[in-house]
Amino acid sequence: MHIYAFGSVCRGDIDMGSDVDMLIITNGHLEHINPSDYSIYSYDRIKELWEQGNPFAWHLHLESKLVFSQDSLNFLSDLGSPSAYADGESDCVKFYEIFKSACDSINETELSRMFDLSTVFLAMRNFASCYSLAYLERPDFSRRSSINLGALSVPINKEVFDVLESARILCTRGVGSSLTELQVDTAIKSLSQIECWMKSLIRRIDKV
Amino acid sequence: MSEFRNRIESQREAIKIVNSFHLYGEPLFSLTEKSINRWVSINQIDPEAEHVNLVIQASKKLFFLANKSQEQITEDYKKLSKDVEDIFVKISQEMSLLQQNIG
Repeated sequence: MHIYAFGSVCRGDIDMGSDVDMLIITNGHLEHINPSDYSIYSYDRIKELWEQGNPFAWHLHLESKLVFSQDSLNFLSDLGSPSAYADGESDCVKFYEIFKSACDSINETELSRMFDLSTVFLAMRNFASCYSLAYLERPDFSRRSSINLGALSVPINKEVFDVLESARILCTRGVGSSLTELQVDTAIKSLSQIECWMKSLIRRIDKV
Repeated sequence: MSEFRNRIESQREAIKIVNSFHLYGEPLFSLTEKSINRWVSINQIDPEAEHVNLVIQASKKLFFLANKSQEQITEDYKKLSKDVEDIFVKISQEMSLLQQNIG
């Protein structure tokens, strides 16, 4: 078994909204480990992600630190670099589609509103991470990737970003105050700007 | 990636079923364990209640495949979709009974 810390704690940008991401790689059954506290992968699955050049493999390659090793080896480090990331365009399009499905749900019903706003945040973040990994000099895997792209950042104000991020934290970690109707309305009014941003970056890929 | 999207759609479907009964002050936000715990705690729901158990079962089924290899997913996915749909039907039936009892 190997255990790694990854994400914000390794990048050094940990804040009050961050949790500590931990990865366990094992082939065995972990009886006393709560799967909601760790990302648990088999060795074969990790090798598969490396071969695919999957963004999560790149994330681990660039931003993880070994915490525990049963055999004194550093399994991830020994894998070397993942394959080149070749799915930038299709992944960006897929996260755009996930964003659109959340928007459709928001227009249709209030029953899953928090989940839909959380999904908007997830789509925005992963879209930006995939875009930066495929097309920019430096990949950004942080929660703030969508506003860390300089001139290519999503054109929403801080208030909207914070509302979407709060929805994400409520849905993943179950902490924080529920959002007010005003906050929700403000975020919903910005969905068209987020859509335009995603479309414009996809168009840039097409031109390349 | 399609499994990833399917998982989001299935979570959304479960959340809509649970919240459509309007039984509690704070709706269910998502199917993560921590979010379910919050929903149970803030609404003072009996953690042993059958509908809570079913929501947890749905959550475990949906997150089960997240880290599996493609080979495992192909086989397991066929069974999973059916299991999850069955649990959704049970959640709906159980919450409908609860609603009748409250009403």
